[in-house]
Amino acid sequence: MMHGTENQDEQGDRSLHTPKGSASRAPGSEADAPLLRLVGIDKSFPGVHALKNVSLDVYAGEVHVILGQNGAGKSTLIKTLYGAYAADRGYIEIEGRRVAVARPADASALGIAVIFQEFSLIPYLDIAQNIFLGREAAFSRFGLVDSAAMHAAARTILDGLGLDYDTHAYAADLGVAQQQMVEIAKALSQNARVLVMDEPTAAISERESDRLFQTIARLTEKRVAIVYISHRMKEVQMLGDRITILRDGAVVTSVLRDQKSQAEMVGAMIGRPSGSQLARTPRSPGEPVLLARDVNTAKLSDISIEILAGEVVGLAGLVGSGRTEVVRALFGADPIASGEIALFGSRALATLDRRVRAGMALLPEDRKREGLALPLDVRDNATVASLWRSFTSGWFSPAKAERDTRGLIAQLGIAAHGTRQSVHTLSGGNQQKVVLAKWLAAGSRLFLLDEPTRGVDVGAKAEIYRLIDQLVDGGAGVVVISSELPELVQLCDRAYVMRDHRIVGHLAGDQLTERAILELAVHQ
Amino acid sequence: MSVTIQLQRRSGMGQFLSAIPGAGLLLILMLVLFTIVNPRFVSQTNLMNVGLQTSLLLMLALPMTLIIMTEGLDLSAGALLGLSGVIVAEALLAGWGVLAACAATLAVSIAFGALNGVLIAYLSLPAFVVTLGTMGLMQGIALVLTNGDPVGGFTPAIETFYRSQLWFIPTPIAIAAALYAALWLLLYRTRLGNYVIAIGGNKDALRLAGIRANLVHLAVYVLGSTIIGLSAVLLIGRTNSAHPTVGIGMEFEAIAAVVLGGTSFEKGQGWLFGAVLGALAITVLRNGLNILSIDSSLQVVCIGILLILALLIDQARKQFVRRTA
Repeated sequence: MMHGTENQDEQGDRSLHTPKGSASRAPGSEADAPLLRLVGIDKSFPGVHALKNVSLDVYAGEVHVILGQNGAGKSTLIKTLYGAYAADRGYIEIEGRRVAVARPADASALGIAVIFQEFSLIPYLDIAQNIFLGREAAFSRFGLVDSAAMHAAARTILDGLGLDYDTHAYAADLGVAQQQMVEIAKALSQNARVLVMDEPTAAISERESDRLFQTIARLTEKRVAIVYISHRMKEVQMLGDRITILRDGAVVTSVLRDQKSQAEMVGAMIGRPSGSQLARTPRSPGEPVLLARDVNTAKLSDISIEILAGEVVGLAGLVGSGRTEVVRALFGADPIASGEIALFGSRALATLDRRVRAGMALLPEDRKREGLALPLDVRDNATVASLWRSFTSGWFSPAKAERDTRGLIAQLGIAAHGTRQSVHTLSGGNQQKVVLAKWLAAGSRLFLLDEPTRGVDVGAKAEIYRLIDQLVDGGAGVVVISSELPELVQLCDRAYVMRDHRIVGHLAGDQLTERAILELAVHQ
Repeated sequence: MSVTIQLQRRSGMGQFLSAIPGAGLLLILMLVLFTIVNPRFVSQTNLMNVGLQTSLLLMLALPMTLIIMTEGLDLSAGALLGLSGVIVAEALLAGWGVLAACAATLAVSIAFGALNGVLIAYLSLPAFVVTLGTMGLMQGIALVLTNGDPVGGFTPAIETFYRSQLWFIPTPIAIAAALYAALWLLLYRTRLGNYVIAIGGNKDALRLAGIRANLVHLAVYVLGSTIIGLSAVLLIGRTNSAHPTVGIGMEFEAIAAVVLGGTSFEKGQGWLFGAVLGALAITVLRNGLNILSIDSSLQVVCIGILLILALLIDQARKQFVRRTA
């Protein structure tokens, strides 16, 4: 039976083979052998070289941060370490011994535990049952689970983490942060020596984050190695003993804390010195395609926006500042209470279907739910907004739809086996291109793009940028929402900045910088 | 910095007292109402009748609770009950002993449960469609075996068993009570019970915990059909005959009882005792309407209304709790 904390101590001491006096040694000092080594890991998916010869050394008692942009290969690396993916090349060593990790169960047996971003708790089992799920045999008595013993063991583990949760509480009744802590308790109860956390602070508040950091400190004292995935610079500098930076699936650099400045790390992440910007070629916009004046909705106040043909306009602001609500209101997806919207010089286009027919397009933030019919194929999705084009003399012509779809696949460079491949099997970037194809087919002239590159790999991102350029060169108006400031600054001719459901600023030309956006977007 | 969370368990007495489901409230209401309208309702004979009818419904509703907790459904439960009864009767008529006849029906019901389970658990087919299909299959076999006629004239030992008493409790009620106790232990006190709840909650997570989740999922269906197969013996004992179509509609009542009892079709949220409340509510309603000589077709209408009413009460209470929280 596992009694969490004491066992952790023994485990740590055993694995180190060092006299007690050496406990004060700096975590992860080079004198120790690495606890975990990844050597030359290579992994490809159809169309993507996700991991390129990645090697990583993780020492007992250290926090090893893996830093990288979305799509840099962090998640693939973890899944390979956990046995959810098989590496094409390379191997894993624990304490200098080469080990096979073919399945998640192998990783668990080796003391590798992963806390994924999506939690794995069972909603209507209680905390104790969740912690010991699949390992109830340790508490079995006459074929029944000795509930009291299980709760006592869970209590010990939670106490070791300084948590006073009721072990009888259902997972369904826990907040996100509490679920996160229970996941950690679950990982520790398996005597984890290597604990991988995938963006653990993404969904929890600052106070809860502080609590998590205390827990991490306690764990490293017990010589547990933490692999911490994040792209929040503040946490990285506070927690990381060692920092490995991934870009485009390859290790750019691996350094000890304080060896690199924040600016240098950001530069290594994005592949160019931080602060430098790609030169924007000034565009010469034409007529207004959209004019919104004093628009108010249930969630927005006094929104006035002007979009011209042939320009890219950014909508900047923190998550929750009302950016998505603005494009939804402009599109006609949410009702407006007052104000007026003129589209292509006409005020008569009052409903969503009329606006779409006039040439307005929305690329929604949640493309899987709002932008695509996932089980359907590329052709069905690409032609859905322009189905009337596929009719000849009143009858649906599959041949016409097929031809048009082939054209779109070629034009957008969609990596699909054919027009009949179901879109849920496509990568995020290609799914996004299918959403764009849908609107291109409909002949849209005003594109509202809500986080167009979220969850898209680096290569597809560049292609989406290129497509946006093509749209604008063709005389379309484009609105881009993005939480990635460098992307916004690079893409847009000008930008509106939002805060608290209002537009609080407008930046154009040389004024449009990451710093200027942030200053407007954040409360002073 | 310490965050204290005070949460009540919902699988025990705590839930029972603090949140009697809509079915419970309606049950109490009906008991009072029927007693006032016709005092014969609370006579010992009638209450015994209610108990006997409830116990038979529970033989379907209790395993159905487990199945629904796995985000599943068994539409074939009623058809299997009818088929099992026919098999026992035919086997007895063919000169088999009682135990042999029971073994035969057990084998058939296990086979059908395994068929449902394999298709649903291993091939990930939707339970609704799978059990709709097997329902037709079982119904058809029962009709073919009997030419559509009731089967009677087998040994009276079955009826004697049905009418017997353990100490002073009628055997069917005692069996239902024992079944409840056994399933309660299984669900709340064994590993398998945790895994049943986990399948509805997050089957992938269960698999990642190193458990053969598909096998557990299959086992739930096999367990359900085994219980139904055995309860067919009670069913044919009641009338001393087996009707091939007697089970039609009983799956409806069983599912209604489970849902009335507050078990959800999502995330493994279920409550075994809720099925008892639900089954009692349905039986009391039927029995009360019988006493008032209301047509049996209208009774079905009333069960439908009861179901929707109970759901409305639960929904209203949820919203009330949210507002006052």
